[in-house]
Formats: sequence, C-alpha cells, structure tokens
Amino acid sequence: MRAVLVGAGAVGARAARQLRSTESLTNLVVVDIDARRAELVCDSLGEPARVGAVGEWGTNPDVVVLTCPGDHRRLAEEALERGAHVVSAADDMDEVRALLDLDAEARERGRVVVTGAGFSPGLTCLLARHAASAFDVVDEVHVAKAGTGGPACARTHHDALGSWAVDWRDGGWLRRPGGSGRELAWFPDPVGGQDCYRAALPDAYLLVPAFPGARRVTARMAATRRDRLTARLPMLRPPHPEGVIGAVRVEVRGQRGSGRDARVLGAVERPAIAAGMVAAVAALWAVDDRLARRGAGGLGELVEDAVPFLQELARRGVRAAVFEGANGDVRSAGTSTG
Amino acid sequence: MRALRRALVALGAAALLAGAIRLRGSGGVPPQTGGWRELTGPDLR
Repeated sequence: MRAVLVGAGAVGARAARQLRSTESLTNLVVVDIDARRAELVCDSLGEPARVGAVGEWGTNPDVVVLTCPGDHRRLAEEALERGAHVVSAADDMDEVRALLDLDAEARERGRVVVTGAGFSPGLTCLLARHAASAFDVVDEVHVAKAGTGGPACARTHHDALGSWAVDWRDGGWLRRPGGSGRELAWFPDPVGGQDCYRAALPDAYLLVPAFPGARRVTARMAATRRDRLTARLPMLRPPHPEGVIGAVRVEVRGQRGSGRDARVLGAVERPAIAAGMVAAVAALWAVDDRLARRGAGGLGELVEDAVPFLQELARRGVRAAVFEGANGDVRSAGTSTG
Repeated sequence: MRALRRALVALGAAALLAGAIRLRGSGGVPPQTGGWRELTGPDLR
C-alpha cells in the first residue's frame, strides 16, 4: 500500500503511526505545511515514511489520508484525479458536505471518499452501525461527544458551538442555534456525565444516508458554561497542543420484534489517538476493497458490518463499551434533558 | 430622553435575563440504573 498523509498534527501523527504498523504498507509520504513537523513524524517512524513537499505526492498513491485543518475538498479532488482513494478526518460541517458532493465523481472513478473518518464523526458512525444491527427498523440516532484532538480540532469545536446546528427530524433538516438543547449525556468512565448541546456538527449529514428510515438524527457536544458564553467570540486563549481524554456516546432507537428499544454504545480515548486509528484502518479497508461501495460517504454507510472494524480498533487499543441496564427509558439510557 | 433611558434599561434587563437563562441550572440527573461494560467477544460477533 502506497499512502500519502496530508497533515502531521495531533491526528496525522497518530494516523501515520497506525499506517506504519500496517504490514502491507510499502510507501508513506507525510506532507505538512510545516515541513519540520513532517520531518519529526517521519524520523520517529523510520522507513518507509518520508517527507513530501506540499503539492508533490511522489508516485501515484493508493490512498490519500487527509488530517490537515482544511482544504479537504480540493485535496480530495486532486487525489481522485490521481486515482487514489481518499480518507478524510474532517469534522467541519461545510467540509463534510463538500466531500459528500464528490460522490458521483468518486463512483465514476471507482474510488472511495471516506468522509469523517475520525473520533466523531467516524467512530460514532461505526458504533451507530453496530448498534443498529440489533434492530429491525432504526427510528432514531443520537450522537454525543466530549473532548477535542489537536488545536485545529479545538478551533472547529469552538466555532461549532457558536454556529447553527442541523438536526434531522421527520424527513427534513432543522436548523437550531448552537449551544441550545442541553442534555446530560452519560459517557463511559472516567468521563461520566457531561452537559451536551447542539452545535454545527456534521454527524447527521453522514448518518442520515446510512439510516434512510430514521426519523430523528441529532448530534451534541459536551461544553461548559464558559464554552457557551464565549462561543461566539474569538478563542480567548490558544488551544492546548492536545486535548485530554474524550468520549463518544451513540444512542440508537428502533423496533425489535413487536417492541421499541434503545441501545447505547460508547468509547473513551484521547480523541486524536482514536481519530488517527480510525482514519488508518479506513485507509486500509479502502485499499483492500472491504468497503460496501464506491463513492463518498461516512463509515456508517460504507461499512456494512461494523464488527470486524471494531475488532481491529480494539486490537489496536480503542475499545467500545455498551450501556447496560437501560430499557428504552430516556433517563435509564443515560441522558436527560435539562 | 426618558424613552431612550427606558429602552436602554429594558435592553439591559433583557440581556441579564437571557444570560441567566442561558447559564443557570444543571443538565439533569445521572442514570439511576445500569452502567458501562466493555464490548467483548460475544458482543462483537
């Protein structure tokens, strides 16, 4: 596998390490606007990783992994023109929509554009797919996440809380103000209970095509009161080099037999580590032709059976968890509205 | 002038009220039953 990784930040460095540990990897070109950062990553990995110049990817790659802060659409188009699959860890709503618009082109070229292959979206889409396998009909998917990866991720999240959220409800999109709709979501330990709010998160754009019969799809992110108060202002201080431990929680509701039920899955990990891992495994799956179809989509849509993917993530260190003891009741399932 | 003052006071009061509503209160109660368990072999088949 010949891979190009664009962006050697917190997520990119982890994705590079995961790609490096893949047996089939023969060539890894790491590209970053900051060449020294790319050099540091390559030095730590050794062969076959090498630094590539911006815009020069060397020999035609099999897959291009995008973990840079922006410009994913243009880079994805360039990768498709070179005949490569694309894996993007984008978590910005506009960026994700722009990538999904590449569906027709990717299908025509027989390539895959895995969109939102990170912690959330990404792992959340896989958890939703796995939770949905227990239902005959999926009615609702609700995603919540806590924590951020690198500085670029932190900036995206800050902006998301001050922007408009998009919920899927009864066959249409609803725009709601970011920072509204508080819910206490109970994440796996040690993160525990966190107040979560609507924000400009792309999860619904990725999950609705994966679950076309769902009536409601929502996404929320954990935030503090200070986060909400300052969401519409510039960031008051520079973000940390990397966030602390984060978590995701996915609640799927639907019909099983003659009754309705809910299933709640989650995971805890440093978001950058988990995102890098998901992106690397997605790249491997794209090259090995293990995804459900060609074209652009999220992992919930492109992965038919999430079990092997989750098993691979568990082998690499990211383990999913299930919330037990819930009988479909909102409070017992680990959320409550404020 | 009085109308302007009243308008400013009303705006200030509204801003204070909006801020209080936006920030007050907790999100709810923790789950009363159940807990998290790692997905293992049988769950991942």
